[in-house]
Amino acid sequence: MILNSIKWRLQLWYGFILVAVLVGFGVTAYQLERGRQMRRIDGELQRRLNPLASVLRQPPRGRLPDNPQNDEPPLQFRPQRQPRPEDAPEDMLQAPRSFHIPPQVEALFNVDDTNGFYFVVWTRDTNVLARSENAPLEVPVPTGPRPAFQPNSPRELRQFTRALPEPQPPRSRGDAREAFLITPPGEVILVGRLIGSERKDLRVVAVTLMAVGGGILLLGLAGGWWIASRAMRPIRDISETAVKISAGDLAQRIATQETESELGQLAGVLNSTFARLEAAFAQQQQFTSDAAHELRTPVSVMLTQTQGTLNRERSAAEYRETLESCQRAAQRMRRLIESLLALARLDAGQETMQRRPFDLSQTVRESIDALQPMANERPVTIAAELEATRCVGDAERLAQVVTNLLTNAIQHNQPGGQVRVTLRGQNGLATLTVADTGAGISAEDLPRVFERFYRADKSRSTGGNGLGLSITKAIVEAHSGTIEVASEPGVGSTFTVQLPAATSAA
Amino acid sequence: MRILVVEDEPDLLASLARALREEGYAVDTANDGEAGLFNAESYDYDAIVLDVMLPKLDGWEILRRLRQQKKTPVLMLTAKDQSRDRVKGLDTGADDYVVKPFDLEELFARLRALIRRSANKTTNTIAIGDVAVDLAARHVLMGGKPVELTAREYALVEFLALHRGEVVTRTQLYEHLFDEDDSTLSNLLDVHVSNVRKKLGAEFITTRRGHGYCIE
Repeated sequence: MILNSIKWRLQLWYGFILVAVLVGFGVTAYQLERGRQMRRIDGELQRRLNPLASVLRQPPRGRLPDNPQNDEPPLQFRPQRQPRPEDAPEDMLQAPRSFHIPPQVEALFNVDDTNGFYFVVWTRDTNVLARSENAPLEVPVPTGPRPAFQPNSPRELRQFTRALPEPQPPRSRGDAREAFLITPPGEVILVGRLIGSERKDLRVVAVTLMAVGGGILLLGLAGGWWIASRAMRPIRDISETAVKISAGDLAQRIATQETESELGQLAGVLNSTFARLEAAFAQQQQFTSDAAHELRTPVSVMLTQTQGTLNRERSAAEYRETLESCQRAAQRMRRLIESLLALARLDAGQETMQRRPFDLSQTVRESIDALQPMANERPVTIAAELEATRCVGDAERLAQVVTNLLTNAIQHNQPGGQVRVTLRGQNGLATLTVADTGAGISAEDLPRVFERFYRADKSRSTGGNGLGLSITKAIVEAHSGTIEVASEPGVGSTFTVQLPAATSAA
Repeated sequence: MRILVVEDEPDLLASLARALREEGYAVDTANDGEAGLFNAESYDYDAIVLDVMLPKLDGWEILRRLRQQKKTPVLMLTAKDQSRDRVKGLDTGADDYVVKPFDLEELFARLRALIRRSANKTTNTIAIGDVAVDLAARHVLMGGKPVELTAREYALVEFLALHRGEVVTRTQLYEHLFDEDDSTLSNLLDVHVSNVRKKLGAEFITTRRGHGYCIE
């Protein structure tokens, strides 16, 4: 579950990378230092190898002088007899030869210091020829390719011994570093040094690097944690605010100081979403309470009527009257319920609208015909100028729209007034206007006529429930259309509906 | 008792008026605000049942204007049920506030309470010698036994009992016992007074010549 936290995941990855980088860097630094040390030591070993080698490069003599302090040139080999072919060349070298080191070479080896340079020389047959006094007791003979040695004559032997020896790679042996070379005759010269103290120094370097690396790692991790926390804080704020909002407090908003960063933008988007949510909830609450409110009066009628009638014995006519008024009330509630449900479904986008081409002028004509009797009653005349206009949509619902507008126009009209209906198709738009010569709508009511339950005349005696225009507007907008109203009090009102017309010709 | 009912919903108005009349009240009706205010200012009703949402003039406005002139008890009838609406109603001068839909019996009881309060009576029974007028049950007992009275007769007794000690003029009686639907026959009142005297005793109602009637 630690892995579920972004902060921890960040920290983990960051830690891994930091460790990798630090380890890489530390190892490289250590290797560089170690390599440098080794090269230095090897260089010094090499410096001492060569003089020794040159000492040995003198051709061997037949007889060793007993006293190496003689003035005889060192390592002179005087053959006691002429070599004979049957003599194996190795035999020539069997004779021990003196190994006298000139003083300047000797100075290179600090024989008093156990950590100083030492040397060991072996003969071809791995017998120790010479060793320095500070050489460790057990120095194994290094192995290496022994050159084939086939001198056939003293001159060859001389040439051979004068040749440069093969350099060999130095070796580390325990606490010692040794370099050696193999002379052409097969002797092995080894120079070495105990490097315990250098080793210790390197260890100190390694430990120091690790300690410093560890310290940097800790600092880095701490710093990374701090940065991650700072970065996560806005997210935590957002999360906490969202929790409060989902718990019901829709008025909360995320505090944003910086609006430009990615999180600031996220907070901004969330805030506007919360605002929309709050508004939608408020509207829904308003709607629900309005709906319940509207039902009060018809229920009240039924209750008072029935309670009053049941108070005593009534005649059949009186019972009938009561039942009829109850029926009127129930019808009113039914209409209200249907309107509310239609609105609710339109709101939720659940009204399945047909999408079929039809002629809007025909729909209008049908509505006018249906409402003619009502018009005649007022009386109100209906004048229509209709162009055939094809639209795509739900003809039945748009008929509702037309009927609603016409009904309003007839009802809010004066006796002897007129209703003018026009329909025109132009520029891809179908424009329908319904104008009446009624009392008009006041300026303060005008922007609110499409609101739910809004009635310009606040009483209920006109019989409507205030939802007709809301439903009309919802249907029009569901068809991607617009509806507007213009009115002059005392003169009349004009409703204008615009719908997208089908582009193909009628 | 004469009551004015102002309500724009016709079915509701009709059934309320009928029910109240059957209770023995004289009932005047108005279905818009202006007519309602006009009536309320013209007569001294014993109580007014006033709807809030009215055409032409709403209930608040009627109440405000009425209160400048009269102290008639007003019971507001409305679909607005929020506490703040009740507060507004009571603060504006209503004496009671009833939310639709309402129970008819409850409405009657509240009206009775209003009328009782405005007559400064605290109990529902008024005892006059041997006669007990039960305002809640709307009947009269004499010696513990119920007395058969018509609705008008009871209304007369109730009115005089609630104004006990005062002299009530004939005009007042007309105004409080008959509504605009009744044909005003002045001797109808005498008939009712005489009938009550027959049932409850001649001394029950005292005549003050030239002034009116009273119960002492």
